[in-house]
Amino acid sequence: MDSQKVDMFIMTNGKYFESHHVMQIRDRLLQIEDSKWGMIQTLQFKDPTISLIVSLLAGSLGIDRFMIGDTGLGVGKLLTCGGLGIWAIIDWFMIMGATREKNMIKIQQFLQ
Amino acid sequence: MKRIKLYRLILVACLLGYAWFGYVLNQSDSAPASELNVCMIKNVLHIPCPACGSTRSVIALWNGHLIDSIFINPFGLIISLILLVAPLWIIFDFLRKKESFYHIYRKSEIVIRRKQYSIPLIALVIGNWIWNIYKHL
Repeated sequence: MDSQKVDMFIMTNGKYFESHHVMQIRDRLLQIEDSKWGMIQTLQFKDPTISLIVSLLAGSLGIDRFMIGDTGLGVGKLLTCGGLGIWAIIDWFMIMGATREKNMIKIQQFLQ
Repeated sequence: MKRIKLYRLILVACLLGYAWFGYVLNQSDSAPASELNVCMIKNVLHIPCPACGSTRSVIALWNGHLIDSIFINPFGLIISLILLVAPLWIIFDFLRKKESFYHIYRKSEIVIRRKQYSIPLIALVIGNWIWNIYKHL
């Protein structure tokens, strides 16, 4: 794919991925054919900042985990009152990374 | 999430769960379980969360008071079931070198996300929350 398009994609969506994944995504995007551009451009990613806000406000109810698609862990947090509050606090620091990982899994499905 | 990571997480969570119930049972003479308050929502907003009372519910169930346990918080039944079944299932999977628990977990995640299941479940949780507030748990 055209490097200009790829760089534009990275500039717009770089914040949704872990920094060590960005170069990997760039290299992979340069290799794929142009026909996939439309699909990749329309992909919706979860914003790590939004998940952090949700985690701070409703982390004890597991809503942050439900939001990023970890339904099983969300149910676990909901049933245990945020893991007696400890898991909820740990997730304040983990949720942004977890959201970025989920975004990476999502884009990887299209990069194969 | 990878299988090993999930199994490790669930085993550690169950172990901590048993440790918590052991601690509460040991403490029950000096400080009743209702006075142990680790719930963030209850501490901050002074209203119970949907899971408040589940420790008391699980302990009531283990003492054989099924009806009491349901009336305290029905979440206790689900927690007891998970605490009993999940570790045994995971150990069984390890011994038989199978991934049955992992497959069921992934499948149930997909099923729960469907609207026809998620909306009634959310309604039930909210209903339980309102009931908890009404009961002053």
